[in-house]
Amino acid sequence: MGNALDSTLIAAIGRSRSGMVRGLGPLAVLLALVAISAVIAPGVIEADSLVSFLSDAAPIIALVIGGTLPILAGSIDLSVAGVASLTGVLVVTLNPIFGPWTSIVVVLIAMAFGATQGLLHSWLQLPSFIVTLGTLSMLSGLALLLSNATAEPIPDDDFFVTYLSGSTAEIPNTVIALIVIIAVLGLLLRYLRLGRDIYALGTGERAAIMSAVNVVAVRTTIFAITAGCASVAGLFLISITAFSSPTLAGNLLLLSIVGVVLGGTAISGGVGGLFPAVVGGLITSWLRIMTVIIGVQPTAQNIVFGLTALVAVALTTDRSKLGIIK
Amino acid sequence: MTGSLVLKGVRKTYGNVVALEGIDLEIPAGQVLGLIGQNGSGKSTLLKILAGLTVPDEGQIVLDGQQVVLASAAAASRYGIGMVHQEQSLIPNLTVAENIFLDKPHPAKRTGIYRWAALNKAAQEQLHKISVELPTRALVEDLRFAERQQVELAKVLAIEELVDRPPIILFDEPTSVLTPEEIKLLFKQINRLRGNATIVFVSHRLEEVLEISDRIVVMTDGRKVAERDAGSVDRNELYELMVGRQRVTELRSDRQPAAPAFTPVLKLEKVSSGQHFRNVDFELRRGEILGVAGVLGSGAEEVCRAVFGAERIDAGKIMLDGKAVAPRNPRTAVRQGIGYLPADRRAEGMLPSRSLFENAVLTFGLDYGWRSLVLRRGKERPVALEWMKRLKVKMHTPFAPISSLSGGNQQKTVLAKWLMAKRLKVLLLDHPSRGLDPGARDDLFAVIRQQASNGLSIVFVGDTISELLELSDRIVVMRDGEITAHFDLAAGAMPKEEEVVAAMV
Repeated sequence: MGNALDSTLIAAIGRSRSGMVRGLGPLAVLLALVAISAVIAPGVIEADSLVSFLSDAAPIIALVIGGTLPILAGSIDLSVAGVASLTGVLVVTLNPIFGPWTSIVVVLIAMAFGATQGLLHSWLQLPSFIVTLGTLSMLSGLALLLSNATAEPIPDDDFFVTYLSGSTAEIPNTVIALIVIIAVLGLLLRYLRLGRDIYALGTGERAAIMSAVNVVAVRTTIFAITAGCASVAGLFLISITAFSSPTLAGNLLLLSIVGVVLGGTAISGGVGGLFPAVVGGLITSWLRIMTVIIGVQPTAQNIVFGLTALVAVALTTDRSKLGIIK
Repeated sequence: MTGSLVLKGVRKTYGNVVALEGIDLEIPAGQVLGLIGQNGSGKSTLLKILAGLTVPDEGQIVLDGQQVVLASAAAASRYGIGMVHQEQSLIPNLTVAENIFLDKPHPAKRTGIYRWAALNKAAQEQLHKISVELPTRALVEDLRFAERQQVELAKVLAIEELVDRPPIILFDEPTSVLTPEEIKLLFKQINRLRGNATIVFVSHRLEEVLEISDRIVVMTDGRKVAERDAGSVDRNELYELMVGRQRVTELRSDRQPAAPAFTPVLKLEKVSSGQHFRNVDFELRRGEILGVAGVLGSGAEEVCRAVFGAERIDAGKIMLDGKAVAPRNPRTAVRQGIGYLPADRRAEGMLPSRSLFENAVLTFGLDYGWRSLVLRRGKERPVALEWMKRLKVKMHTPFAPISSLSGGNQQKTVLAKWLMAKRLKVLLLDHPSRGLDPGARDDLFAVIRQQASNGLSIVFVGDTISELLELSDRIVVMRDGEITAHFDLAAGAMPKEEEVVAAMV
């Protein structure tokens, strides 16, 4: 019996990477898309193009990562695009007060806002869909109000935005910042109880409560992280454009959710993760490039992305657990 | 003869798992066939095949000498086959009448427009057929569990009128959540049907199967291993056929009685909770197993939930180690050293699509971590695995989703989650053996006894009186939210089952 136990343990350690294997489907899709694009327009896979692709993709990936966490835990956060837009506006508006530290302060404000929103949702038991739809509208409105609906240049004394707009050894600093965020989140999810509790909540909330999972704390933390990611995505955007526009991230909400689904995270919760989120973000960004390559006019892009969302959901839904679809 | 059902060489696999293999079975019309087997032995798969919920890979189903294909529940009901589900198949937010005729055509709803008066009247007739009085306009969710089962039975029996042959009724563990009274009522119904219907009856309670069946089929690992006339076999032989070993009952006297005179670990003083229970007093000493007997609605379950913080307390005091505690939610209860194995395993006990490991380490993983902050998988997993081994969990790998296991193994894994705690004082077991076969139940009870000997105090809400008598040191009996009797078994006062029942109803 002792041997059986040992061999189970060995098998166990070998199997712990199975989660990665499940993520390989979307990765194959990504590679296929890149390959197709390379055939149509060989220029896209040159080093220069790839670097600029990554820096374009960084905001979307950050939004997708942020959007993935609440979905894993059985909620959803629709306010990410609002947070990203307002971040840009606040970096300009609050600059007279906080000077070079403004962007850092704004990220902290965003996280405090996210925590509040998570608390409202979990403690008062309000559906996250409605709470965040409401705050999305409020945040977008606030962005318009504070900026008088005009685009303004980013003050050049903001140290973090200035850093992000530069690059280190040919690699854009946005990409470096994104990698740091991914690494930190990856460690948090793997080594803190938080990671486990997120999946528990997304799989069965009642069982999680009866197993002493602190639902309110977990949801509050997740929504804070999500808003933080969204805010950083906003900083990425303004570091590229050098302008803050109140509608900067307006069209990114759909894209971020498309990214979550394309990466293989189930909209019903409990299935997916950080790696799928990154892959999903990359696919979504690459699809944007493809629409340009095959000549979809910019005004029609949203039609393509809406369609992609439907196809992606159709392809990734796990029908073996078919039953109740809401 | 019409109504006879024959299975020939039926085989069914799920992936690489063979659920059924070479099943040959003949059920003559008008008989009650008892079907027993351990969790995972293939009983449920067999019933599903008969009910049209799944299709066999090989083999034939022959009804009245004609081969039939049961591709769906609707197809099965066209042949007069209906199933009373273990976890009821009623739609909670529809009325009783709607549920009864949900799966059948009826003149009162032929055009798709309901004629409510006619439908309700027809439903009333169906209920009267089984001598049940229930409001047909009531929503199913407002009924009590046993009442819902009566509706389910009426729904299945309404098939009688659809076909001109005797119906075939499948009962999947119908008694597991019924009180002794309700079981009697159910058996009366089955006896009424005997001769006019063919019945397949699945239960883990061997006494019941012996009482109600004409013939008994025993299944093990997807095969039929024995078929006996109910008159020619006894409980012990069935147990042996089913589990493959002889039944060893640990005698009560084997266990050291709990050391008396210490401060009780858990003490309830006049605790009340709304409609559920009033003025409940009891003490639980270290290493003691306190059995709580009571039918559904007696408040026995709710007392456990209240101690665990999952039910509101209006008045009274709960003392843990002499100090008053007020568990506001399960989390605070767990922090104080209280664990709870829920009766509703699927919704409250486990995370179905997560792995065995994840389920086992969910609550106490950090007890094995670094400074209660950082998880250490290398420390917690061997402990989880060790508990699963001691509980004899049958699995391929601890990374498989818990939903891929049979009910008994799921329950063992959920128990392992609580046993992983380093500082657990009180473990509340709410119907721990529900849906478990006798073998799995004995595995579970053996570990529970052992933990009690090691000093864990246990409150045990039992499924049957015999298991309460088997496991408990003391028993309190509850009726309508109040404690009505108290038996101290460790002191040598072994009550008769009838005495306990008398206090229950």
